[in-house]
Amino acid sequence: MKLVWFETLKTFSRWRTYIGFGVIALIVIITEVVMKLSADEILYRMLRSLEKDFLISGNVLNGWFVTAFIMNTLHIHMPFLITLVAGDVVSSEATSGTVRLLLIRPPSRSRIITAKYITTFFYTAGLVLFLGLLCILLGLTLFGSGDLIIHHYGRFGVIYIEEAEIPIRMLFAFMAAIWSMMAVASIAFLLSTLAENSVGPIIGTMAVVVVFLVIGNFPLDFFRSLKPYLFTTYLTFWQQFLDDPIPWRQIGSSAAILGLHSILLFLIALGVYARKDIKS
Amino acid sequence: MKKHVWFIKVLLFFSAGWAFAQDDATHYLDALERKYSALKDYTVDVKVHFDMEGFNAPDMQARLYFKPPDKMKVESKKVFFFPREGGIFNPFIFKKDAFDIRLLEETAYGNRKAVKLKLYPKDTKKMKQSFVLILDIENHQIREFHTSFDEREVKGVIDYGTFKEFDLPSRVDLHLDLPFKESFEMREFGQPAPAPRRVTGKVEISYSNYRVNSGLRDDLFESPKRKK
Repeated sequence: MKLVWFETLKTFSRWRTYIGFGVIALIVIITEVVMKLSADEILYRMLRSLEKDFLISGNVLNGWFVTAFIMNTLHIHMPFLITLVAGDVVSSEATSGTVRLLLIRPPSRSRIITAKYITTFFYTAGLVLFLGLLCILLGLTLFGSGDLIIHHYGRFGVIYIEEAEIPIRMLFAFMAAIWSMMAVASIAFLLSTLAENSVGPIIGTMAVVVVFLVIGNFPLDFFRSLKPYLFTTYLTFWQQFLDDPIPWRQIGSSAAILGLHSILLFLIALGVYARKDIKS
Repeated sequence: MKKHVWFIKVLLFFSAGWAFAQDDATHYLDALERKYSALKDYTVDVKVHFDMEGFNAPDMQARLYFKPPDKMKVESKKVFFFPREGGIFNPFIFKKDAFDIRLLEETAYGNRKAVKLKLYPKDTKKMKQSFVLILDIENHQIREFHTSFDEREVKGVIDYGTFKEFDLPSRVDLHLDLPFKESFEMREFGQPAPAPRRVTGKVEISYSNYRVNSGLRDDLFESPKRKK
């Protein structure tokens, strides 16, 4: 526990750790202010197909909708911000020359790497929760509250979630988002144990995420057949908490696949770190 | 020559019959128009139940304002969806001068006499829709309607109650058959565009707490127009 606290303190005392929080704050503030200024245009685009057949009243463009809207871009910018710390957490010891000092002390290597992994989890969770809280608080301040209207592309119509039900669903969605992002963080963490500097793990993780996203979304049958085998396919499973009815079985399988990725990547990182040669 | 005379006679006979039928059908709408001529406005609470494919929504409630000829407003604290066609009772659109009217059949509705009319708009620029109405000619009530326009089909069955001597809907059951096409703007990279399809379903609307001729002001219906 002391080790975890020490690692957490070390991570959160680095200025690099706060780049992600700063970038998220910037993205959320700019997006929400622009959405506020372009509210008419957004509503027109959003409701155009429905308004042909229905009169729609009430606060459709509310804080919850804005939060869900920004959350949809999560799998694009969030992995990069996560790798900034997750890709650095182990390799920085090698870069700064503290790895020998660290590993000749009593705590075992497995305890050290576990503490670093838990710290990575704290950072990932902190970043996602910061995004969520900022989106919701700023969103509710600028746009007010209301029922959540969700449209999933390719499926007719809308999903209507009553206002009272939204906070709990959002909480589950953010927990699922943390779970997804931990799979990305685990790749960066593994690469960080293999590298001597942070640049390689950051670029390596982003390369994996981008290549998998592109392969999984290419509109060709060959690539489509690969989609179920790519972890990036499941990164957006948090969206399913905003579905009706909530597809618990799909959520369970997505969470299991991502969880297995995270565990496997951590175990490999553990093995690599246990055999790491610090004498050369 | 004799053949020509016969042909003209037959033509005159049928055209006279047609003109008579037209005139005959027109008076049904005339009676409807007279019946509601004293209706200046109404306010009503509506409860909507959707049973439509892909439309996962709980029952919704709102207050609806209407003023002839076509001013309407929906007021709701929560997000509210209301069918544009058939949801708002507006007998004023069925003006006899606005349609070419054909009597399709004389029929019965329950134990009352009824007629089935087909209404073709005279000015298709102003109104695109044609209607088929089943009109209770004893009470001068529209009991069923069917309209089609822009690939949309809407059928409705109306139950009435009497509110301040006016017969106004207490319940409307709508059957919608609508085209649906995804917007390209919402598409993400790699998402294939789904083929346009039709969506069908039922909407049940209950009406309660009518306030009739309460003198609704025109500015109540003004709402800021959205920029596109």
